[in-house]
Amino acid sequence: MSSKGPVIVMEAPEKLNHSEAQAFLAELQPLLQSDRPRIVLDCSQVQHMDSAGIEMLLSSMGEAMKRDGDIKLANLSPASGAILELMRVDRLFEIFETAEEATRSFQTVALPEVTPTLPWYSSGYGFADLKSAS
Amino acid sequence: MGLGAIVVPGELYRNAPAGIAPNMDALLSDPLAYLEVAGRSTLERTIERFVRAEVDAVSVLQTEAGSRGVRPSFTAFENVEFQTVSDLRPAIQQKLQEYSQSGIEHSFLLFGNIYAETDLLDLFYFHREARQTATRTLNREGTLDLWVVDCLKAQDFDLDAMFLQPKTSSNSYFIREYVNRLITARDLRRLASDLLQGRCVARPSGREVKRGIWIDEGAEVHRWARVVAPAYIGSSSKIMQDTLITRQSSVEKNCCIDYGTVVEDSSILQNTEIGICLDVCHAIANGNKLLSLDRDVVIEISDPAVMRSNYPLPKPATARKWASNISLFNRRKQRQPTPARLQPAGSAPERRGFETNSMKG
Repeated sequence: MSSKGPVIVMEAPEKLNHSEAQAFLAELQPLLQSDRPRIVLDCSQVQHMDSAGIEMLLSSMGEAMKRDGDIKLANLSPASGAILELMRVDRLFEIFETAEEATRSFQTVALPEVTPTLPWYSSGYGFADLKSAS
Repeated sequence: MGLGAIVVPGELYRNAPAGIAPNMDALLSDPLAYLEVAGRSTLERTIERFVRAEVDAVSVLQTEAGSRGVRPSFTAFENVEFQTVSDLRPAIQQKLQEYSQSGIEHSFLLFGNIYAETDLLDLFYFHREARQTATRTLNREGTLDLWVVDCLKAQDFDLDAMFLQPKTSSNSYFIREYVNRLITARDLRRLASDLLQGRCVARPSGREVKRGIWIDEGAEVHRWARVVAPAYIGSSSKIMQDTLITRQSSVEKNCCIDYGTVVEDSSILQNTEIGICLDVCHAIANGNKLLSLDRDVVIEISDPAVMRSNYPLPKPATARKWASNISLFNRRKQRQPTPARLQPAGSAPERRGFETNSMKG
C-alpha cells in the first residue's frame, strides 16, 4: 500500500517542557486537523523533555490517529529515548534513526499478503476436495 | 607476627583517566565502595574479609575531596578505624610506620573500590615466602591495586614508584577467585547481578524468603507485587501493589517502588523513590537520576512524582512547603467518604497496608 499525501517533517524544539510543548502543539495543531496527517517529528534538537512534553506527544498522536494518520519520531537522543522508555511511551511510537527513514516508512507500508482462501465450510469445497486432501 | 590492612576507597576512580567513567559524576556523588549493593557496601564486605582473616588492625584512609565527608554507617567491626586525611601518600607512610612500631610486620594495601574474594592468608604466605618488600596481585584482566607490603621496608619506599612497577611481575600473586574492580557504574550493576546469581561467595544480606529472593529487615512487599528470583529487596523498602521486580534486580534500603512499576535487570540505589507505572530496565537509579546502561546516558528527572530521592531530609523552608502540600492532600482526602467512615460504628475498619507477599517468583 502506498500513501499519496505529503509527509511533513517537523523539528521538535530543544526543550519539550510545559511552556515549549504548548507552543509547539499550537504549531502542530493545523497539521493535525488535516485529513490523514502524516508527521515525522525530528527530535535531534531535543535536549530536555519532561512529562508535559510526553503528554503533548501522546495527545498529538491521539489526534493524528483519530484522522487515520500517525506521528513518527526520528533522531531521538539517547536521553530522550531513555525517558520515553522509562515512561513506557517508546512502544507507542514508531521510532526511526533518521527523518528520511521515518518518511519512507510512511510512503511504503507493506501489508502482509493475504491469500484468498475459502473456509472449509464454504460452498467452494466439495466432497471430492476433502477426499483428495485426506 | 602481626598483620594489618590499609584500605583507601575511591582513590582509584579519582585517578582514573578521563573518559573511563564519564557518567559516574553525573550519577553518583560517593565512591562506589561506599554504595550498598544487595544490602552492604563493598567497603564493608572488604573490611569484613580482613577481620575474618584475623588481621590485627584495619585502617580506612579517605581524602576529604574523595570521600566528600562520607562516613560509612557500619561500626560493627573491632580494630577498624576511619581517618580522613588531606594527603594520602604521607598518611599511608605514617600508618605503615605506626604499624611497624606496634609490632605489625606486614600489611595489606587496598586502593580503589576493588572487591576481591581472594584467600588473604594465602596471599600473605605467598608474600612472606617471596621475601619482597611488596607483592602485587593480578587476575586475568591485569594487575590489581591490592598489595601486601613489609611495613618496615615500605616506609622508606617510594610509593609512587611502587605503584608504577611493571604491570606483569613474576612475583605477583595471581587471583583466581571472584574480582570486581568497581570502576564504572556498570561494574556496580554486575556486582549486584553476580551476588544474586551466586557467582561470588558473598551473599545478599537479609533473609532468603524463597530460593533467590532476598528480603532484608523491615522491607514491605505488597501481596500483589511480583518478585521474580533472583532479586533483592533492601531494608525498610516498600514494594507497592502490581509492581514487578525481576531479572537480578536489587532494590536497596529505604526505597519505594510505586504502583505498577517494572524494575528489570536494574539496581535501585538506596533512598530512591520510583513513581507509578514506569519501566526501569537495564538501569541504575539513584535519587532522581537514572543511568540507562543500554544507552549509556544519565537522565535527571525533575518531576518528583516520577523519581526522587528521599535523602537527605528537606531543608526547613522546603519542609514547610511539603507540609503545606501534605495538609492540602489530607484535607482533600477528608472530603472523600472513605470506606472506613462508611462502616457502621463499632466495627473494626478493614486492615490496609502491606502484608506478607505470597512470592510468586
